[in-house]
Amino acid sequence: MSALIDPIVGRYVTVTLSGRTHRIYFEEAGQGRPVLCLHTAGADTRQWRHLMNDAEVTATNRLIAFDMPWHGKSLPPEGFETEEYLLTTEAYIETVLALVEALGLEKPVLAGCSMGGRISLQLAALHADRFSGFIAIEASDFQPAWYDIDWFHRPDAHGGEMGAALVSANISPYAPNAERWNTLWMFMQSGPGVFRGDLSFYTKDESLIPRLPQIDTAKTPVHILVGSYDLTCTPEDAQRTADAIPGATCTVMEELGHFPMSEHPEGFRPFFIDALDKMPA
Amino acid sequence: MLDKWTAMGAALEARPHLLRLGRLFSETVLIQLGEDEYYLTFEKGHLADVTPGPSRKTPWRFALRTDADALKAFWQPIPEAGFHDVFGLVKIGRARVDGDILVLVKNLRFFKEFLALGRDMGRGLEVSA
Repeated sequence: MSALIDPIVGRYVTVTLSGRTHRIYFEEAGQGRPVLCLHTAGADTRQWRHLMNDAEVTATNRLIAFDMPWHGKSLPPEGFETEEYLLTTEAYIETVLALVEALGLEKPVLAGCSMGGRISLQLAALHADRFSGFIAIEASDFQPAWYDIDWFHRPDAHGGEMGAALVSANISPYAPNAERWNTLWMFMQSGPGVFRGDLSFYTKDESLIPRLPQIDTAKTPVHILVGSYDLTCTPEDAQRTADAIPGATCTVMEELGHFPMSEHPEGFRPFFIDALDKMPA
Repeated sequence: MLDKWTAMGAALEARPHLLRLGRLFSETVLIQLGEDEYYLTFEKGHLADVTPGPSRKTPWRFALRTDADALKAFWQPIPEAGFHDVFGLVKIGRARVDGDILVLVKNLRFFKEFLALGRDMGRGLEVSA
């Protein structure tokens, strides 16, 4: 009898972001082409656990994922107790580039979901030279919030539980029940105000829209994946975004929602493998 | 339709986790299906009363306004995209939520799981609005 031990290895790396020290948690599995994976708002690296445990994927790909500051096992910076967490495009870009640098990743594929997909497209427009290609999942140019982001940080209610109840709207009914709830648990666990601060970036910053035509897919391919059951980034939102990027491709995943790698790993893996095949080897 | 709400109330009683989630929820919710209205009164997570409307003198905390076909699609075992969630119905223009939406959001998991009981209860309780 031997215990089942995941091949995923987790460590910490210290980086400086806007002059402040951050100890960032990251995980990796596999070898070969580096693929840097970005989690959604209000969640963490655990969203990528299935692909990191997928021997076919990791046979030729080194998957790396990290918890954004304030998320998962990455602590907030010193002095956080008097700060309002509000993610910005600039801080997000700085964080991703710092991790690429600190981990010595040579032109990784960047795979991001939701707000991670949004920042992947920003990086495709502004820092394409640091990456080999972009897999933007549930990613779009911009959507204003159809909810009040202040709901998710209040003294009289549990923001994580309310956030989970709201984002469950984006999970496909085809998702296995256990993975639906594993996915929601991460939202329930997110720190006070963190989901709200992520949504501030996601629902208020429109700066990507004019940058989309600048993306040169001849140098760095862009493939967008979107689930039919995603109410936040709908297939129409994703297709509109792909249409604005010359040469970008877009695939609609009929039975999936907004968190495909986490909510329905079996359903998502063929789409992700296909997306990896579209990226430079 | 009244039978359906009553059956959902009974299904709620069989789910202790849901009663626990709703333990602070004592409100009247208006469900409007086209011209038909139903006032669902919850007491500490239990569905204490269902009164058909229309009524101008029954206060309610929030309202879900939709139509019988949309609700029927919502209650399919595997709903089509958009029909799979209350806010999906809102997003595709088949429902509206009025009133004190913050009370709904604070009890969102409870209310969504209650409403989904119409799907989970199984067959034999067709919507006849």
